[in-house]
Amino acid sequence: MDPSEVEFLAEKEMVTIIPNFSLDKVYLIGGELGPFNPGLPVDVPLWLAINLKQRQKCRIVPPEWMDVEKLEVIREQERKEDTFTPIPSPYYMELTKLLLNHASDNIPKADEIRTLVKDTWDTRIAKLRLSADSFVSQQEVHAKLDNLTLMEINTIGTFFTDSLNNLFKIRANLQPRGESTMSQEY
Amino acid sequence: MADTMGGFSDSEDESQELMTPAQLIGKLEEAWLNEKFAPELLENKSEIVECVMEQLNHMEENLQRSKKGDLRATIHRMETERIRYVLSSYLRSRLQKIEKYFPHVLEKEKSRAEGEPSYLSPEEYAFAKEYYANTETFLKNVALKSMPPNLQTVDLGKSVPKPNLDSFVFLRVKERQENILVEPETDEQREYAVDFEEGSQHLIRYRTVAPLVASGAVQLI
Amino acid sequence: MFCEKAIELIRELKRAADGQLPAFNEDGIRQVFEEMKALYEQNQMDVNVAKSDGRSDLIPTIKFRHCCLLRNQRCIAAYLCVFYDRLLRIRALRWEYGSVLPTAIRFHMCAEELEWFNQYKKSLATYMRSLGGGGGLDITQDMKPPKSLYIEVRCLKDYGEFEIDDGTTILLKKNSQHFLPRWKCEQLIRQGVLEHVMS
Repeated sequence: MDPSEVEFLAEKEMVTIIPNFSLDKVYLIGGELGPFNPGLPVDVPLWLAINLKQRQKCRIVPPEWMDVEKLEVIREQERKEDTFTPIPSPYYMELTKLLLNHASDNIPKADEIRTLVKDTWDTRIAKLRLSADSFVSQQEVHAKLDNLTLMEINTIGTFFTDSLNNLFKIRANLQPRGESTMSQEY
Repeated sequence: MADTMGGFSDSEDESQELMTPAQLIGKLEEAWLNEKFAPELLENKSEIVECVMEQLNHMEENLQRSKKGDLRATIHRMETERIRYVLSSYLRSRLQKIEKYFPHVLEKEKSRAEGEPSYLSPEEYAFAKEYYANTETFLKNVALKSMPPNLQTVDLGKSVPKPNLDSFVFLRVKERQENILVEPETDEQREYAVDFEEGSQHLIRYRTVAPLVASGAVQLI
Repeated sequence: MFCEKAIELIRELKRAADGQLPAFNEDGIRQVFEEMKALYEQNQMDVNVAKSDGRSDLIPTIKFRHCCLLRNQRCIAAYLCVFYDRLLRIRALRWEYGSVLPTAIRFHMCAEELEWFNQYKKSLATYMRSLGGGGGLDITQDMKPPKSLYIEVRCLKDYGEFEIDDGTTILLKKNSQHFLPRWKCEQLIRQGVLEHVMS
């Protein structure tokens, strides 16, 4: 999956905004939104929140977990443990990126938040690389991946599945097999 | 401008469940992800495709009538763009697999028993047959025609590789499953069983979980 | 040496960069076929002679030619494979360039490949038209997930007033930059009035 597609999925997450306009309920195909009244918080999907923010029609309320102290605790735990810490949002990376890029003025200590999230991400990815290497070299056929987010799985995923599939092909080709005339690779 | 709302059902097709539009979109997204990550072509979901297109067309009609630059209209338009993207991507995934495995896809459809679910929609079937004929004609004209008699045929079924069902996939469990049998890689390892807890995520060979993908018990990610 | 041409053709095709469609080597393939044909005919003649005259001394030659023929056959099979690979690249062109191919690319295709491409795009068009109970959907569009509906644009020429959201109008003067709804800009971008500024 392209990272832009993971981001696309992340944009469905609900966030709270404070609109500066009025609008009656909107009946989207995917559900109801609003009504919108100036100054009153309302939950909308991230894709809409970002757009309204761009058009200066709202202020975005950062999610509860997007807080320096809370993120420091998570980063520490991630660095201490060998296993993956449960993180507060399955789309923590994408939400941080989108909100900090488009609504940093609504987010207290935005730079610190950015650093904390990146550090946590780096630690997790490093752990994931180790797990992936060991999985491949031990010739495992199953792994449990709870607590991993889609973006993390996606980042390591192609390397993983490709190298596993190639190993399988190599092993299978060591056994006698009928020849295939057409190109294997698309 | 009238907004669509509420539930609906397709009374012509008795296998259609009563579903809200929101659930319908959810089902489309599930089908999209499954098709994207499954190595083989999955069962076709024509009813979902048709219902989603109906929703999109209806919304498009409403939008035509709306005031230019209306905020409400732009919100609806953003949503329909998102849905249309998922739908297009889903159909593209399927087409790519149909083209990649075309002799096998057609063979599977031809040898399907009465009452078994169809893998190809009628439109996809027509496309697949044309693709086969077109490619066969091409190979005949460009190479085989000029070759000595004993080399003139090519068995496309044997020449075009089949999908690799042993490829690894990532999944999330939607319905708890017990005793999934995991076959080992090497001779020294033994097979073992794992339980799939609801909400857990796994990396495993597609072949092991193919029926669970079809039934909706797991979601490929 | 027999089979050299076939091997050379395969190497040539494999050398082409990923996704690129090299020119169709008509001469090359014809030479391979002629070689195969000559080998085959010579073999047939010798087999007949060997049978009728009892010429067992011809048999090693026949075997050698047969080996060459088999090797050529494998080369051809591999070449078909590469032809097929070309076909896949041609297929990709429909999705990348649309139904009208740039002239430069067309020159790299032989008549049969052009014919395949024409049939393919017809099939695809029929399929897309039939989607959703006849309403149709162009799935060659929307190749990327939609991003923000608004984009940053720079005005390349004086255009004048332009109506946007909520009925408000903006003045598009050369070099002015604006943040506008994407669908409204698309036509002006195509016309060269606006330019999308990537952030």
